[in-house]
Amino acid sequence: MLLPRLQPPLRAAIKSIGRSGTSGTQTALNDAFAALSVKNAGPVLTFVRHASHQQQGAVNKAKDGPGKRLGAKKSGEQYVIPGNIIFRQRGSLWFPGENCAMGRDHTIYATQPGYVKYYKDPKTNPKRQYIGVTFERDQVLPLPPNSARRRRLGMEATKMELPEVVEEGAEIQLQEVTPVVRKRKVKERRGTEGMELTIRPGYMYREANWQIGRAAERAKVKVAPFVPRDRWTAWRKTTLRKTKNAEKRGLSRKKK
Amino acid sequence: MSSCQTAVRPLTQCLRNLQISNYSAIPIRMFTSSSRVNEAATETAFSAPAFDPATVTSTKGEKSLMRSGVLPIGSRRRRAAIKSSDNIPFEQLPYQCFQEALKVLKADREEKMKNIQTERLRISNLEAYNGESLKGGEKEKQRRLGDMRKHLEWLKIQADINDPIIKKRFEDGEGDMNKPIYRYLADRKWRAYQRLIIVQRLNQLSVVPDLLPHFEPIAAVQVAFKQRNVQPGEFVDSRVSELPPRLKVQVFDKGERLVTVVMVDGDVPLVDEDSFMHRCHYLAVNIPISPSQTSLPLSRAQENQLVLPYLPPFAQKGSPYHRYSVFVLEQSTGQTLDVEALKEKVKRDRFSLRSFTNTQSVQPIGVGIFRSLWDDGTSGVMKRAGIEGADVEFKRKRIPALKPKQKARGWEARHASDKYKPIRR
Repeated sequence: MLLPRLQPPLRAAIKSIGRSGTSGTQTALNDAFAALSVKNAGPVLTFVRHASHQQQGAVNKAKDGPGKRLGAKKSGEQYVIPGNIIFRQRGSLWFPGENCAMGRDHTIYATQPGYVKYYKDPKTNPKRQYIGVTFERDQVLPLPPNSARRRRLGMEATKMELPEVVEEGAEIQLQEVTPVVRKRKVKERRGTEGMELTIRPGYMYREANWQIGRAAERAKVKVAPFVPRDRWTAWRKTTLRKTKNAEKRGLSRKKK
Repeated sequence: MSSCQTAVRPLTQCLRNLQISNYSAIPIRMFTSSSRVNEAATETAFSAPAFDPATVTSTKGEKSLMRSGVLPIGSRRRRAAIKSSDNIPFEQLPYQCFQEALKVLKADREEKMKNIQTERLRISNLEAYNGESLKGGEKEKQRRLGDMRKHLEWLKIQADINDPIIKKRFEDGEGDMNKPIYRYLADRKWRAYQRLIIVQRLNQLSVVPDLLPHFEPIAAVQVAFKQRNVQPGEFVDSRVSELPPRLKVQVFDKGERLVTVVMVDGDVPLVDEDSFMHRCHYLAVNIPISPSQTSLPLSRAQENQLVLPYLPPFAQKGSPYHRYSVFVLEQSTGQTLDVEALKEKVKRDRFSLRSFTNTQSVQPIGVGIFRSLWDDGTSGVMKRAGIEGADVEFKRKRIPALKPKQKARGWEARHASDKYKPIRR
């Protein structure tokens, strides 16, 4: 491979040596070497074609998937109740306005019963479009600036169910009826007798930490005082513990 | 604790109990534990607090000071440093750079004082000048006078604003609110944090579009029920708010003025109309306040100031939270409101703060907000105040669905009869 490539320059060099025979051998040699240089060895181009697949453009066009059923589910001035979906969207094309809220996937839904309004509110945000719900059909959104909010109670007043009131008169009546009511006896734990649990920071009904610390004292738990260097009691306790643990281990093995 | 203190402690506690609460409506006669003469003598002897607010570092000392109504000055670290320092006066600190800087500041102050004098002279000259001969007439003269007075105020502040001693005195809480520089510093401090919070709460709780069309607070208002300070918008237990609160109103512009205090509940449920109304819980007018006179206990309103006495906040069970806003409204200069006329005119229910401010031409300057919900004490509070409706509970109204309920289909329809009862889900 190398030899045929070298042939033409070599040939040219020899020729030049022959031509420059008249002049000094020094210059002739120089010329010969110059002719030998790779520079004169003409361009050799090699093209390689790899197996490939077009990556960009129209070749890999997205296939048309199933529709996601987005868009308006309720039109303007349509009656809705709380929880009704008004608009399904990807991203926030519409924002929740009066009496509306936005769900996890940007769905707009109603929080009050009323009539759907699609509107813009350039005072609050010039670029956003809102969906709101009004209580009256002819009401216009957005509300005039600095006007009081329109609010609805949405509640009804009922008589409170009070726990039995302790009164003299009521007590006599209760005594007559009592056999019907069967009360489950609440078993009190040792040490919690007469304890009034109150709500504490963190919304927990529990005792204060110092009260928990005194629980054993309250339950009158007697613990034999620890006597240092009493090896006899220590040995008894250790053996008891070890036998108990061994029993436990044996039980768990049997299960398997 | 020293033996002396231990000996005195029960005595002081006994004396503390002697003070009859100002809030109680029922006159209570306490049993005296000492004779009249002795009592006066002991009070004078133990009136001074045992701890120095500038140097107290122990928790116990701080607490006892705060209980007596004196706040310890600065941080505990600073107080500890002061305790161990040589107490060299601030101006004589032996640092050369500090002394040189003081000289520069002094020269600057002298220049400002000179400017103040010239400005005063210019103002008096213009006042003496006939307005008609000016180019813009009397109106132009008044405008220029206003501008010059504004500039004079600015100069007064600039003369003192770099003074380290003034800064120290302000931080120690010893600033005299009658002086413009301390008012300026207090205003700046309030605007840096407290005002931002109150404005945020006004907007978050929608007090501003609901009660007033717009409102820019210019006075600091602190609401406190006895010892309990209320943060703006905080939920307050109904038993705590049963007695009228004490307001601390700090205004930052000079002069005494009369104010009106209104407490409004913006969320009173109206079942018949399926909406809400406002209720006035308290209204007192013509109350004087000034930058140095800040305390405003609602219970101390005089007979000729009180229009509507205090009605304790109460939120019936199940109703959404009630926002109670205590507004301080400034009356225009020289204006006194007619209490008798207001007593006839103003009703508690369906009170409108918008129309009140418009008709009486009063300007809101500050507000304190707290919220209330039904709690264990509310029924007792209502009973004691003689309010009916403690046994009412609000429950959500059921909203009928738009679609009718679908008929059973398929397996469910086929197994609907009682024959399949045991296998039904």
